[in-house]
Amino acid sequence: MLTIPTRAEVVRQVRERGERVAAVLPIHYPRALLRAHGFQPMEVWGPPSVSVVEGNAHFQAYTCGIVRNATSFLLQGGLDAADVIVIPHTCDALQGMASVLKDFIEPRQPVATIYLPRAARSADRGFLQAELHRLAQQLAEISGRSPSGGELMAAIEREEEADRELGALAEHRSEIDLGDRDYFTLLRAREFLPAESFIELARSAPRGRGPDRGVPLMISGIVPEPMDLFDHINEMGAHVVADDLACCSRRLYRPGSASDPFERMADALLGGPLDPTRGSPILERARAVASRMAQCGAKGLLVYDVKFCEPELFDVPLLRKHLTEAGLSMLHVEFDMTGSIAQQTLTRIEAFVEMLQ
Amino acid sequence: MNPKSYLAYTLGYQLFGKSFLSWQRHSDERKLRAIRPAPDDPLNPPLVGTARMKELMSRHYLEGRYANGVRKVAWVTSGAPIEVLRALDFFLIYPENHAALCGARRHAEGLAVEAENAGYSRDICSYARTDIGAALSGRTPMGKLPRPDLLVCCTNICQTVLYWYRVLAAHFGVPLYVVDTPFLYEKVADHQLDYVLEQIEGLIPVAEKVAGRRVSRGRLQEIMEQGKDCAELWLEIMDRAQHRPSPITAFDGFINMGPIVDLRGEPETFAFYKELLREIDRRIEQGVGAIRDERKRVLWDNLPVWYKIGKLSRHLGAKGVNVIVSTYTYAWGELAPMMDASDPMRSAARVYLHPILNRSTGDKLRSMREMVARFQLDGAILHSDRSCKPYSLGQIDQRDNLANDLGVPAVLLEADHNDPRVYSDEQADARLDAFVETMEAA
Amino acid sequence: MGEAKWIGIDAGSTTCKAVAVDAAGDLIASRIEPAHPVIEDQAARLVDELRAEAGAGGEVPVVATGYGRKLVRGATRNITEITCHARGVFRALKQPGMLVDIGGQDTKVIVIGPGGRAVDFMMNDKCAAGTGRFLEHSAARLSVAIEDLGPRALGAVGEESISSTCTVFAESEIISLVARGAKVDAILLGLHRSLISRVVAMIHSVGLRSPLMLSGGVARNLAARAMLEQATGQKLHLPEHPQLMGAYGAALVGLESGADR
Ligand code: SF4
Ligand code: SF4
Repeated sequence: MLTIPTRAEVVRQVRERGERVAAVLPIHYPRALLRAHGFQPMEVWGPPSVSVVEGNAHFQAYTCGIVRNATSFLLQGGLDAADVIVIPHTCDALQGMASVLKDFIEPRQPVATIYLPRAARSADRGFLQAELHRLAQQLAEISGRSPSGGELMAAIEREEEADRELGALAEHRSEIDLGDRDYFTLLRAREFLPAESFIELARSAPRGRGPDRGVPLMISGIVPEPMDLFDHINEMGAHVVADDLACCSRRLYRPGSASDPFERMADALLGGPLDPTRGSPILERARAVASRMAQCGAKGLLVYDVKFCEPELFDVPLLRKHLTEAGLSMLHVEFDMTGSIAQQTLTRIEAFVEMLQ
Repeated sequence: MNPKSYLAYTLGYQLFGKSFLSWQRHSDERKLRAIRPAPDDPLNPPLVGTARMKELMSRHYLEGRYANGVRKVAWVTSGAPIEVLRALDFFLIYPENHAALCGARRHAEGLAVEAENAGYSRDICSYARTDIGAALSGRTPMGKLPRPDLLVCCTNICQTVLYWYRVLAAHFGVPLYVVDTPFLYEKVADHQLDYVLEQIEGLIPVAEKVAGRRVSRGRLQEIMEQGKDCAELWLEIMDRAQHRPSPITAFDGFINMGPIVDLRGEPETFAFYKELLREIDRRIEQGVGAIRDERKRVLWDNLPVWYKIGKLSRHLGAKGVNVIVSTYTYAWGELAPMMDASDPMRSAARVYLHPILNRSTGDKLRSMREMVARFQLDGAILHSDRSCKPYSLGQIDQRDNLANDLGVPAVLLEADHNDPRVYSDEQADARLDAFVETMEAA
Repeated sequence: MGEAKWIGIDAGSTTCKAVAVDAAGDLIASRIEPAHPVIEDQAARLVDELRAEAGAGGEVPVVATGYGRKLVRGATRNITEITCHARGVFRALKQPGMLVDIGGQDTKVIVIGPGGRAVDFMMNDKCAAGTGRFLEHSAARLSVAIEDLGPRALGAVGEESISSTCTVFAESEIISLVARGAKVDAILLGLHRSLISRVVAMIHSVGLRSPLMLSGGVARNLAARAMLEQATGQKLHLPEHPQLMGAYGAALVGLESGADR
């Protein structure tokens, strides 16, 4: 069993080091830039099971659960430890959330945004570098800390190291001796641990023969909440051999080579794995998913989406078609970001597992 | 150019089609002029100019039928920088406008079902569903849409179009050019302008390659100027609603906005709006309002509910409520002052960064507050459009601000711009009636 | 008729069903009742009744399915309705194809492969549109008995179109239609149309296949059947006991598992 520090413990350590906390919304953002400016990122993916009353007071019921829950969480004091809120421009929902926070809710913490280009042409690279410079300036104003080029580079290399460890965990799932829930808890520790702690943790993960029971599945979607999902999947007689989750494998950025830190960060963000929120062509993505499934022996793909997540929904039909043609099965279900998974959704997953048995 | 297509184009569109449509317009005009509303109809006779709008749009789609093999075709988003494409003589299809026409003609649901049957969720934008359904089934009330040679998607209205055009790119197997426009949470910054400028310039070689010819900078400038003239004219029309009683309604705007979206800058579009403006000015001279008894003047925010335009205008009109302006129709004119033909590319970058949907929620509220003041409005209807997240997110706070800070009664109307299955007449009417009562009490 | 070898229980949200099969897999006894709030007790009682009726005195093992499947005490296994319906209908109609099961809470479209396995499926999302509940609810609004829904819709002169597929919205639409003096039968026809359009969408998103088979409570509704045939252009094949297919399939799964007593 691994011992992973809680978020509260990490906050305490961060404070002891004289650093600050940044609450960060999904999906892609420059971790190293935050760290170098003295902010430890703590990501907010929902969280599930908060009362959504406050969120509903600002966003219509057809807004995705991440936005409504995160807004509730903020207004209930859940982000009080944060000194800044960083909202990447991931989708129209997070765009709306950032804008409403800035213009209407006006939380105590400053709100910083970052716009991520949806292609990777030279114009996009140039713009993203400029956007990172702008964000750096804003962060420096908040923390009073302006890292040198060397410090920034050191932070980047540390994050690259952590990403390599994350990549190794994802690549060699079958050799990690952890049950699905623990395994994904480990991967998701990257959401709030400092890179150096994550590297240590990842290296200490027990190796050997990983669990090998039942129907091998791959999971896709934004975030697997609540994490009980994995217990249910195991009980049904399946296990998860690989992921295409926005919070996990879609953030396996390749280490860069540029010597300019901003160029290097921009390259990493634009060169990451295929992701509909980054505008990746659907068929290319479908091919990548199918080949990953073949590689790790997954028989079915469970697409576990947050209700009302448009970027994910548009890909579903063609993804399904492509996988079917490749002789693979796919199940698409949605969940509401509440604390429990609807019975009916579980039945569907169970039937999917029975079908693949 | 394919000689057979060219022949069909010349016969079907140039010779026969155009004259038939112009004959049909004359007959429509006669019919419109002859309309004598019933004594209990809350609306005054409709604008006769609408007949020309119908002619222009029908002609456009008729040409589309014959366009493949004669002109290069691009499918573009409503906020795409089309000047380059027009300068290269591309024939343009606006899937959003096509979906809206389907919606207004009550065909959207059937087409959306086609997309849903293929697995597209009911939670995605109903424009996207309508059009994907049309693309998959080949059905459209407009006869037939030409296949695209190029797709151009600009994210200045939403990210949805990016997902949607990726589906089209996979379906048609043609290149997709993305013009990505950073959302303006705050005032525009230089790096944002530079970025958009670089992408608009980057479109030139891509479009030239498809068109097989070079663009002339002179022609580009001319098109910019025509676009500006049209936008200014449209703005002038919208602004006529300042008169009391207002000679037009926001619903007139919705119905007549097709050309400013699809055919902006075309000389015939300009002529059409000139004529429409004259008709509106005649109403003003005669002191005739769009509705018989204008007691309250109201703002509409967001897209129209295409399949309920007539119903809503009568329901509200009967209560003396004239919905006179909308942020949506205004969006096609309000940026005219930003257009500067002497610096076409950079001013285009600026314009394409500034549509209302690419500006912050606070800025949108400012626009609404300005409209309330300028048009002397008594209330606001904010259509909370399930399908359009970027337009709708923020409305709860905007409404609270209008109602509580500004003291302007405002209501959130839950609906969907193109999907009648999520609309409930009873609930909508009840909400609107309560809203009218608050205005009357205010 | 042999003695009972396996029992299948389908604990659904509106009805609870129990089926006993003999060694040949034939259905030899069954029960169907409205669901009780305490599923455990109801299931136990039904099992006892079937054992008494068709058992040879000893224990008969039980397989449970349906939404309350995990609550059935003493079941040797629990399996989802999808797998069970596929198995039951395959055995009853002796053919692979596409099964549409319209139940009270769920509607399922299942592609049955050779051997009676589910090879693909689709299930309605959480909302009640497209399920039997949509009709029941609306019928209650109009004070029409469930058995009369189909015949009255079929006999309708004219049709009132119901645009909302949402149960709550449809209810207010019904109220105002009635207030405007619309004929009840015509409204019923519109309601059926709305239900079937939702089901057809599910069929198409899996990809229509023939033969098309129908099970579930709504299978007894003549109007729904006729409209589904018309909308898909397919002749519908119905098992003899459309409502029992889940429980029957569950018993068959038990029998096939070989783990006899
Ligand atoms: S779940 Fe989807 S819609 Fe919601 S914030 Fe994430 S990407 Fe955006
Ligand atoms: S309606 Fe809204 S979401 Fe749909 S295409 Fe238009 S701007 Fe985008």
